[in-house]
Amino acid sequence: MKKRNMLKSKRRQSELSYHAMMLPGMIFLLIFSYIPMFGLVMAFQDFVPAKGILGSHWAGWKHFKYMIALPDIRLLVRNTVVIALGKIIIGTAMAILFAILLNEIKNRLLKKSVQTIVYLPHFLSWVVLASVVVNFFNLDGSVNQLLAGLGFEKLNFLGSNRLFQPLLIGTDVWKEFGYNSIVYLAAITAIDPGLHEAAAIDGASWRKRVWHITLPGMMPIILLMAAMNLSSILSAGFDQVYNLYSPMVYETGDILDTYVYRMGLISRQYSFGTAVGLLKSIIGMALMLGSNGLARKFADRKIF
Amino acid sequence: MIENKSAASKIRCFIIYFVILLLAFVCLVPLWNIVCISFSSSAAVAGNRVGMRPVQFTLGAYEKIIGDSQFWRSFGISVARVIIALALNLLLILLMAYPLSKSRREFRARNIYMYLLIFAMLFNGGMIPTYLVVKELGLLNSIWALILPGAVPVFSVIMVMNFFIGIPKSLEEAAIIDGATPFQVLTRVFIPCAKPSIATVALFSIVGNWNDFYSGLIYMTKIKNYPVMTYIQSLSVNLEELIKAGGSANALANAAEVSNQNLNAAKIVVAVIPLLLIYPLLQKYLITGIVMGSVKE
Amino acid sequence: MWNKKLWKSAMALALALTMALSAAACGKDGDKTPDSNPQGQQDNPGALEGAQDNADPFGAYEETVTCTLGRRTQQNPKLPEGDSYEENAYMSWVEDRFNVALTNAFESTDGEDYERQVALAISSEELPDMMTVDRATLEELVENDMLADLTTSYENYATDYIKDIYDSYEGRCLGSATFDGRLMALPTTSPDSAPSQVWIRQDWLDQLNIQLDTDGNSCITREELEMTAKEFLAKDPGGNGNPVGIAFTYDMNAGDNLEMQAISCSFGAFQKKWFQKEDGTVYNGSTTPQMKEALAYMNKLFTEGILDPQFGTRTWDDITALMTNGQTGIIFGVWHIPDWLLSNIKAMDPKASFTSFALEDGNGKVNVFHGDPAGNYVVVRKGYEHPELAVKMINLFHDERVTSKTLEQDAPEVYKYEQLGVDGSVRPLPVEINSNVSLLNDYSAIMKCVNGEADLEEMPTLEAKNMVGHIQRYNEDPNTTDVIDWSRYHSRTKGIQLIQNLTDNGSFAWVSPLYLGTTETMKSSGANLDKLEAETFIKMIIGEEPIDHFDSFVEQWNAQGGAAICEELAEKAQ
Repeated sequence: MKKRNMLKSKRRQSELSYHAMMLPGMIFLLIFSYIPMFGLVMAFQDFVPAKGILGSHWAGWKHFKYMIALPDIRLLVRNTVVIALGKIIIGTAMAILFAILLNEIKNRLLKKSVQTIVYLPHFLSWVVLASVVVNFFNLDGSVNQLLAGLGFEKLNFLGSNRLFQPLLIGTDVWKEFGYNSIVYLAAITAIDPGLHEAAAIDGASWRKRVWHITLPGMMPIILLMAAMNLSSILSAGFDQVYNLYSPMVYETGDILDTYVYRMGLISRQYSFGTAVGLLKSIIGMALMLGSNGLARKFADRKIF
Repeated sequence: MIENKSAASKIRCFIIYFVILLLAFVCLVPLWNIVCISFSSSAAVAGNRVGMRPVQFTLGAYEKIIGDSQFWRSFGISVARVIIALALNLLLILLMAYPLSKSRREFRARNIYMYLLIFAMLFNGGMIPTYLVVKELGLLNSIWALILPGAVPVFSVIMVMNFFIGIPKSLEEAAIIDGATPFQVLTRVFIPCAKPSIATVALFSIVGNWNDFYSGLIYMTKIKNYPVMTYIQSLSVNLEELIKAGGSANALANAAEVSNQNLNAAKIVVAVIPLLLIYPLLQKYLITGIVMGSVKE
Repeated sequence: MWNKKLWKSAMALALALTMALSAAACGKDGDKTPDSNPQGQQDNPGALEGAQDNADPFGAYEETVTCTLGRRTQQNPKLPEGDSYEENAYMSWVEDRFNVALTNAFESTDGEDYERQVALAISSEELPDMMTVDRATLEELVENDMLADLTTSYENYATDYIKDIYDSYEGRCLGSATFDGRLMALPTTSPDSAPSQVWIRQDWLDQLNIQLDTDGNSCITREELEMTAKEFLAKDPGGNGNPVGIAFTYDMNAGDNLEMQAISCSFGAFQKKWFQKEDGTVYNGSTTPQMKEALAYMNKLFTEGILDPQFGTRTWDDITALMTNGQTGIIFGVWHIPDWLLSNIKAMDPKASFTSFALEDGNGKVNVFHGDPAGNYVVVRKGYEHPELAVKMINLFHDERVTSKTLEQDAPEVYKYEQLGVDGSVRPLPVEINSNVSLLNDYSAIMKCVNGEADLEEMPTLEAKNMVGHIQRYNEDPNTTDVIDWSRYHSRTKGIQLIQNLTDNGSFAWVSPLYLGTTETMKSSGANLDKLEAETFIKMIIGEEPIDHFDSFVEQWNAQGGAAICEELAEKAQ
């Protein structure tokens, strides 16, 4: 009886310290995330800076209705989701693969240098990289010269609705795989090397060890990253698309964010922008909770 | 039999090296291109003539940067920001990741906190309300305006939490039996065991704070307070936009004098150098995880 | 326990902050009552200040007056080392002259960044005393009664010189800043820079022995344009091996640089401009039969290979590269394009030189439209005690600075800035105020001086003085490697000279579009209409859609909000 009480009070004590540990961070979140969230009411207003959040007229669901009624809304959503999904799937696979391969390299210096090099493109903005991409992929670019040299027909990557989405996905994967692989490398280092040694003694091939030890060991992080990425499925990378697209490829390249941006050029659209953002957040939240549920059900793991 | 196996592993080794080097090469090309641009004349850059080596070689861009006192001032602001933000971020990440790594049985409010964090990550009130808060707190034009709004990187918290969950319970229990308080458990058991993940989120914090130009644009109303990426951004001339904004003939002519992309490229090169140096430093910690892993047994 | 405490303190904090925020946001309503008094003062500032300075346009205040400014900065202000946007000779000039203390409320790069800071300042209810804003913001501020009425300040304080400048726009300029008969802002002026000219490499024409403009009216026909492009394509005078005929950016925004404006104007089509018919109805230039003709012509150029085969994806930078590399020698742009774009070509190819022409229509006329006469607007916060200070500053910078013959002695620091070519954005109020005819007037003065018919001291402005130097140096050595001399020579003696010739010959056929700001339907459907237009026009030009598709485009355009906008504008125009 006494012992149980003691245990209980000890647990209370630690819970108290847990709360204390959460406190500083929660204060920051309260001030800089939760209080500004009052601004989300702008989505239901016709917000004008001169009237302020409290003084602007209420518009109800107007902006949401308008969004759904846009002549191009299906196209915009389809483009956004296709481009974002392509980036998530191929980008994640590429980053994982790279992390696993790099982990096989025993030469320390080479490993370090390669890792440093591949993470560099992440730091260059799309404004800068877009001109590099255009130079490589336009009709007179190196890629087309190579194609012509090999006897193929030249391809208008930047002006073709068939090729533009693959171009976006490919260049984004190229830019980000190095940086994204960092977190997977960290996950690999957390795997007990003893497991590998034991499996190697049992005669398991490299491929088998990757499949049965490395990948499962990385699974919590892979699931976490997948859920994170999914939650931003309605953001397909404004900077990249904006710097590479043209009216020729609006059909496959125009995404929600670029459209909202062009609306803002005609007149600033605080409320419409907030409404789109809010909708994106809600869908992101649903996807995030959904993937957590799925992970729990099928992989018996929770993500958060 | 054994020979066969080693031949296969040699081929595998060769293929891996080949793929890795190819990827490294592909990533190096644009960066090298930008380095070459920074050493070329602006007309050669405008003519798209710079490929893998400088055209009309000049050091002019770098001379200009060295002479630009605001650039170094901004550089200093960025360095200070990264250091303070890193310390604050790590502190809050670790403090929050530890309780969150407990099960609901051990920490009853755990899920409430978790959902609050996720909600804060996915929803944001937008630029204007956040600006009003920062302004009301009197933080405009202060370095804290760049640091405090991003004090809790929720994604990093969740990531470290996931690593914490993976640390064997036995280690924690042993420490508790020795009479360690939760805080001591965190610093003596969890932190040393999770070094790779901590190094990773530290890197995210450094990179994120260094690269972020947007908060500087919003919260700094004086150019002299800009961090370096904001300063670079504010200097990059886009003639096309200037024309559409109705720039006068004089303003256009003045802008054209500095619209040399070589100068912009040089600034990008200088600004990326610190990040180039940071990564190898942190790599040391990324590797220590393996050692820890074997100690665990 | 802990839980409760935490919750309590968090709630308290949240409450405190919310209240602080709402207080800030409510501030406006609270301010309204006390504001009604200064309103009375503003109605007659002359009387109030009369005792002090008798509405002296350059009078100093007895007690130091403070003034905060919103500053629009440029990337290359050309400030001497050590000077900044806050502390410089222009700012000190105002401070010493009028006994005021100026501070910057915010500094931000011209364009999107600046507009963002303005919006933030407005939302936080802390307007700087003075700043420049775009038209949409001006309307918003006026609608919400946040600006001082400048009618009497302007009447009493503006010098005759300044008033003459504004009057040269025949009310179009000040009119755009007048609401219900009250002048709420001082507009920056933008004289017409039309037309979009065709700049052709003269050194290539000489090399290939092509004679253009044989009738000497400074215009070329579309046939001449095609012929030149074909010759350039066939003979590749740039020696690049990959010549391109005529290149345009993918933007279909009807801008006058690197876009098809000159071609559509030569058909009498004014893309994206709004016009009012005599019966009061409004239509858009993009939907006219003339536009269809222009597109059909562009399609013909494309199929013949005269138009760049990559039309539709070319960016601004691409085209800059094409011309700098000598792949194309035909560039469309305004008179000052040599100053900031063609200069790249000279830097890369010292032999390069240009002649500019206008593209004439079938009757030998050049179709041009008047530009929006007003650009940005200087506004003064409502409740600021000295709204006339804005007018005084404009007097100082746009009258005395440009007209004074003794500036060098009176304000040596300012004079030095002028010599250095310090950017106009460094002035406390970054506006340009020039008469509608200043372009040609200044130019004829410059040329008189260059030809030795006038003295350098007689130049109307310092800038004109500097220009004389550039042109004289170029004339002494036409093979100069000085890119600035080269570009100023071209922009003046080719670009402005062309406008002069066309004006002298009476070749211009002017039209006046409506400039009425943004309407409700534009806000909601404008982006969609722009997208529709850009997509359709490009497809028609490159032949993915037949030319007859134009008619269904017009129908779609009207149905998706175009017709509604026309009605809104017709109402606004009454």
